[in-house]
Amino acid sequence: MIQLKTLLNCIDNSGAAVVECVNVLKKKRAGTVGDRIVVVVQRQRNFDTGIGVSAANKVRRGDIRHAVIVRVKKEMRRPDGSYLKFDDNACVLINKSGDPIGTRMSG
Amino acid sequence: MAALPPLTRQLGCLRPFMRSHEFIQQTCRRTITTKYTPKPAPVDLPKNLPPIFYSQLPDRLRPDFKPKPFKIYPPPPSNAKKCKDPLTATTEAQLAVLDPTGERKALFDYRRSRRSVKPGDIIRVTFKNGDPFAGVVLNIRLRGVDTACLLRNQFTRVGVEMWVKVFSPNVEGVEIVQRTEKRKRRARLYYMRNPKHDVGSVENIVKNYMRQKASIGGVKGTANKKARS
Repeated sequence: MIQLKTLLNCIDNSGAAVVECVNVLKKKRAGTVGDRIVVVVQRQRNFDTGIGVSAANKVRRGDIRHAVIVRVKKEMRRPDGSYLKFDDNACVLINKSGDPIGTRMSG
Repeated sequence: MAALPPLTRQLGCLRPFMRSHEFIQQTCRRTITTKYTPKPAPVDLPKNLPPIFYSQLPDRLRPDFKPKPFKIYPPPPSNAKKCKDPLTATTEAQLAVLDPTGERKALFDYRRSRRSVKPGDIIRVTFKNGDPFAGVVLNIRLRGVDTACLLRNQFTRVGVEMWVKVFSPNVEGVEIVQRTEKRKRRARLYYMRNPKHDVGSVENIVKNYMRQKASIGGVKGTANKKARS
């Protein structure tokens, strides 16, 4: 159940670590896996490389981006009646045309 | 002056005259217009009335009168009587289709059968479409055909839980990978979601089990090996 103010983990290497949902697109209800959302980057990921934070990160704190939800805590119902749930909420940042911003996903 | 009030009262009061006048009028009118005739006493029908006169009587007075019989319909056949316990019957009928041998039922009926899956066991479920899923059994929900079990596992350090409908035609096989060492004292092991009690990923245990199974060569192992239906 992803809605306004939900904090999600960002699991790609775009540079965002924690993002906050500000809108669920094309839906009046809470978002679930596969839905596109609009997020605000709340915390940046710190890479261990010697490069400065801004050089490695493609997004910065406070950026407004689109994202796709990939994991939710709320259980999802499959058509055969089985349910699947995860222990966290996670998303992947994308640009407006739908391509991922990061190049690698973990998890 | 003391005699004045009665005098005035008599002079001013014409009602007694009027009253007597009304009375006379009423009596006169009554004598002219009204004549009281008592209601005639009902006459019984003559006994032994010849049937030829029956047609002149109203229906209800005829000696051979009977109320018109109306048709009584029998109640529709009751389905409740035909099948006393439809829920059980439906469940059994569906189980006969989904689980003809009864093996799967025995495998999950943890309250009755001894060799069944129990909470805390690690099982591996293979599906007809999609990847197999292995995990610790947190909960077994015995509800007839809706019997399901909750499996918990970790992928990339993120916990994943899945409710699997045991009798689903999509479920190809269920294997018990590892039994719990000690019997769990709870039926619902939701405390295993806490990091303190979480068993973590069961990937290695399942991998070992699969390797063992492959080395045996598909032959059925000992009691804790395989229960496939």
